[in-house]
Amino acid sequence: MGKSSYKRLTGSQNLRQRLVLATLSATPVLIEDIRTDDTWPGLRRHEVSFLRLLEKICDDCAVEINETGTKLKFKPGIVMGGRNLVHDCGLTRSIGYFLEPLIVLGLFAKKPISIKLKGITNDSKDPSVDTFRSTTFPMLKRFGVPSEGLELKIENRGSPPLGGGEVLLAIPVVQSLTAVKWTDEGMVKRIRGVTFSTRVSSQFENTMVFAARGIFNSFLPDVHIFTDHRAGVHAGNSPGYGISLVAETTSGCCLSADTAISYAHEEATAGLEDEKKELMPPDEVGVQIASVLLGEIEQGGVVDSTHQGLLFLLCALCPQDVSKVRVGRLSPYGIETLRHIKDFLGVQFVITADPTTGTVMLKCVGCGLKNLSRKVS
Amino acid sequence: TFSRQTTNLMQLVYGKSSSVSTKANEEQDSSDEDSDGDDFFRPKGDGIKKHRVEAGNWNVEDSSKFTNHSIKDWNDKKLIESVRDRFVTGDWSKAAK
Repeated sequence: MGKSSYKRLTGSQNLRQRLVLATLSATPVLIEDIRTDDTWPGLRRHEVSFLRLLEKICDDCAVEINETGTKLKFKPGIVMGGRNLVHDCGLTRSIGYFLEPLIVLGLFAKKPISIKLKGITNDSKDPSVDTFRSTTFPMLKRFGVPSEGLELKIENRGSPPLGGGEVLLAIPVVQSLTAVKWTDEGMVKRIRGVTFSTRVSSQFENTMVFAARGIFNSFLPDVHIFTDHRAGVHAGNSPGYGISLVAETTSGCCLSADTAISYAHEEATAGLEDEKKELMPPDEVGVQIASVLLGEIEQGGVVDSTHQGLLFLLCALCPQDVSKVRVGRLSPYGIETLRHIKDFLGVQFVITADPTTGTVMLKCVGCGLKNLSRKVS
Repeated sequence: TFSRQTTNLMQLVYGKSSSVSTKANEEQDSSDEDSDGDDFFRPKGDGIKKHRVEAGNWNVEDSSKFTNHSIKDWNDKKLIESVRDRFVTGDWSKAAK
C-alpha cells in the first residue's frame, strides 16, 4: 500500500458535501481547523453521527478524529449498501440532514440500501421528510433513477427537542444517471401539501391549512393540503406542528417549502436567554409558508432554492453528456456546491444569467461517474 | 452588458476568490485600528467572526435549506398580478415566451 495523499481542506463548512464527494471520487481528505476558535471546538454530534453512518454503509472506510475534534482524516471506502440497516441520527439535527447525502451515495452503492433512521423527522433547519417524498424523489426520477425501490416511509414522527421519529428509507442503485435538459419550468397547475402535528391538538393542522389556502385562493383553485395527525407512539416524544407545501407545474417540476414549529433544544437555548420563546401560532405558520412558496414560484427555475445543491450535484455526476438546467437566484448553498464540485470532480458549470426572466442557466458536462460495482446482467 | 453579467456570475462562483478574501481582510484591518482605543481586551473569536461573515462561508451551518426569505405580503394586488402568469390561471401566451 502506497502512502495516499490527502486532499487538505479547512473549516467546518459543507462537511456533508465534502465527504460525499470524497467518497464518490475516492479522494482521501484531511480537514483541519474545524471550529478551532469556538467555545465548543471540533465536530458536532450530528457530524460525528454522519461519519458513523458513512462507516456503516461503506467498506474499508477509515475515519480518524483528533482529541479535540478539530482535525478529521477521512479515507473513503466503497459504498456497499445493504438491507435492514439501522442508524440513530441523534437529536442535534433532523433526519433530513442525513437523507440528502445518503440518497446520493445510495445510488452508487453496490447493493440497494434500506435503512431505518431514528431521530427528528421535522424541524426548521433541514428539509422535512415530507419534502423528500414530494419534491426530491420526483427530481431523482428526472435523472433516470427508477421509482421502484425508491421509498421513504414515515413510521413515527418526531419533533425537536426529544425526537422519537422513525423513517424507513430505500434507495435503488443505478449504473449511471442520465443527463438532463431541464429548462422548462412550466406553469403552476396545482398545489399539494401535508401538515403534521405531534402531541398537540389536530386543530392546529386545520388552522394552518386554512391560513395557507387563504393565500393561494387568489391564484388557483387546485389546492389540497392533507393532514397527518399522529398520536401515541407514532407522535414521538415532543410536541410540534408544521407544514410542507409543493407546487407542481405543467412541465412536472416541483417547488417546495416547508417548516416546523417546536420547542428548541435545551443546549441551544441554555447560553441565551432563559425565557422560553413563544411558538409561532399555526395561522401565522400557514401564511408564512404560503408566502415562502409564492416567493419560490416568483423567482422561477425548475427547482426551489433548497434543492439547488442536489440538482447541481446530480448534473455533475451524470455521464459525459451535456446537462442544462435553469434555476432562480443562486442560493448560497448552491454556490458552495458548485465550488466543491469543481474541487473534487473537476466539473465546471457554464453559468449564464437570463435577464428577461431573471433566472440563471447552468450547463455542464458530467464527470461520467459509473457504478462499477454493479453486475452487468 | 449581457456578456459582462455572464462573466460576473462565473466569477462570483468560481474565480477571483483570492481577491475577495484579501479585500475582506483589509476591511477587517481598518476596523480593527478604529476600535483599538476603545477596548484593550477583545475576545479572540471576535474579529475572526466578523471576518467570517464577510468572507461568507467559513463556519456557517451546513444546511441546504434556504431560510433567508424575505416574506412579502401576498394579499397585495400588485404583487399578485406580478406572479399571476406563473400559474395556469394566468396568461398562457405570456408564459410561453
